[in-house]
Amino acid sequence: MNTFLINVGIGLATASILALSAVAFTLEYAVSRIANFAHGELLTIGAYAAYSGRAFFHQSIIGAAVMAIAAGTLAGLLLNAVLIEQFRGRNVITVFIATLGASLIIQNILMIIYGAADVSYTFGQGSLHHVGPFLWTTSDIEVIVSALLIAGLLYLLLQWTKFGKAIRAVSQDRVLAQISGIPARRIVMQTWGLAGALAGFAGFALAETIGTFGPGLGFGYLLLTITACVAGGIGRPYATLGGALVVGIAVELVGDYTNSAYKLAYGFGLLVILLLLRPNGLFVGRGMVAVRA
Amino acid sequence: MMYWISVVTESGIFAILALGLDMVWGWAGDFDLAFYGYLALGSYMTMVLTIGKPIPPTEYILGLTLPYPLAIAVADVLVVALAAIIGAVALRNLREIYFAVTTLGAVSALYLVVEVYTPLFDGYNGLFGLINPGQSALNLTYNGYRQVFMVIVLVILAVTYLVVQRLSKSPFGRMLRAVREDERAAAAYGRGIFFAKYRAYLFGAALAGLAGGLFAAYISAFNPSAWTPQELLVIYAAILVGGRGNPRGVIVGVFVVYIGFIELTRYLPSPASRPEFAPALRQVLIGLLIILMLRFRPAGIFPEHTGAGRVGRAPAPDPLEQSGVGASS
Repeated sequence: MNTFLINVGIGLATASILALSAVAFTLEYAVSRIANFAHGELLTIGAYAAYSGRAFFHQSIIGAAVMAIAAGTLAGLLLNAVLIEQFRGRNVITVFIATLGASLIIQNILMIIYGAADVSYTFGQGSLHHVGPFLWTTSDIEVIVSALLIAGLLYLLLQWTKFGKAIRAVSQDRVLAQISGIPARRIVMQTWGLAGALAGFAGFALAETIGTFGPGLGFGYLLLTITACVAGGIGRPYATLGGALVVGIAVELVGDYTNSAYKLAYGFGLLVILLLLRPNGLFVGRGMVAVRA
Repeated sequence: MMYWISVVTESGIFAILALGLDMVWGWAGDFDLAFYGYLALGSYMTMVLTIGKPIPPTEYILGLTLPYPLAIAVADVLVVALAAIIGAVALRNLREIYFAVTTLGAVSALYLVVEVYTPLFDGYNGLFGLINPGQSALNLTYNGYRQVFMVIVLVILAVTYLVVQRLSKSPFGRMLRAVREDERAAAAYGRGIFFAKYRAYLFGAALAGLAGGLFAAYISAFNPSAWTPQELLVIYAAILVGGRGNPRGVIVGVFVVYIGFIELTRYLPSPASRPEFAPALRQVLIGLLIILMLRFRPAGIFPEHTGAGRVGRAPAPDPLEQSGVGASS
């Protein structure tokens, strides 16, 4: 069997989780014009919620996933109401530092509740399956299928519903959207809930594929998430999905041919190259204007 | 008494780091997240230059026995060299969050390499053995040495303060602030934006490396758990409390925040079964402090002197709001 294609397959599983996380980050950016550095903690909250569901309430894998999504939604809504809206109209970097503070708070509250030691689910990865040229575990397949489903639903939501139209309007110009009769405040709030749900599920999927995790799970994943967003074009959901696909596969392939302990460092190298050469994303012609950050 | 000597020494070391960081963030307006890496590299290098050959199974590079002050100087040169690379990449046309993310990535990569690649600084075990350098030469007792070390740290801090204060009021300091307020306008007036920021960055990194060298002798052992990049947020909290861009405020902020938090955590319950409880609670409080300062008093206790007072106009209430121009394009 071709090892290269097997690695691509692993990359697809990585990319699926990355895509969910990155699209949530991009949605937050799109409606609030801020880089949310507490984004990783939404993933961590999802992962721990699923862990609680499993360990304390003996939920099935579906029940654990639902709990992750619910916790993520709640965390997203709270983060927007308690922090982001309070800093509305302030300088980008000010809000950024505030979210960094929030990240510190959430990580350490989780550490106080669950302890510093790593925890793990007891679902197991399942057996190996040959699917075409790829070799996937059961959980890989579950992750890829659910990510595709979610991406499809997200497309329908953004493109074909009133809510999606409102998100796109608010992300282009909040004041103008407000004037046109769109309840911008509510749309922003709901978008944060949606982003929280996506991030919560991504956190659950990430924790399940990694096996063990601690309070730093999401923060460690944030850099890769941002790399995917920058690769696609920050603030644009579909481009971000493409960016996540490229970054996920690239990082897995490079990691497989060298020492995979440095995977994060490769992600960073990729980020620097992208920022220096294509700061507006891979899928934008040079003439187009970037979204200002 | 020894307790207070320890607290003041530690605060003094971090005040030196904070003065360097404030040049980059407070004056030039670049929110950097790599600075704790510079302190760490300064510490590691000072150690491998002084503690002698490694005894297997420990392993690290060099293993020289240079005199302590010389080791600090050599280590600092290396720190500035690293900052020169990171700064050259990050400062040229990345700004605001792009700059912050790039520096965070750089420090994360550095952290990963130090942790995983053991021949460098013995990976997760870290280095130890730099105990009171020069104690026998100075003919001091352990406690006497700690007192002398505190005085040395405070003298270095005072000298640093005088230099930084002078720079702050010099044309260079004013130029950096002009660049921070409006990059395009400053460029239009003929200022070299990149080199202005770059010089401030290198000077700040040199101070961080110096603080790292002092820190190495202060704690005498150093490993990756001592410098997770998030530790830098404490320094930012201190700068925010004291007053961003005002050297005197920065020093006051560091002493207030450090002594405040160290004192506070002494009285927190610390159950033996949960050793992570008190440090975690401390981090939560630091996060809260950052958010509350940003929200309600972004200029700090001692706001930066804008120079506008001389013409009788009230200074701008929030210097953070005016900083930065835009992304690369």
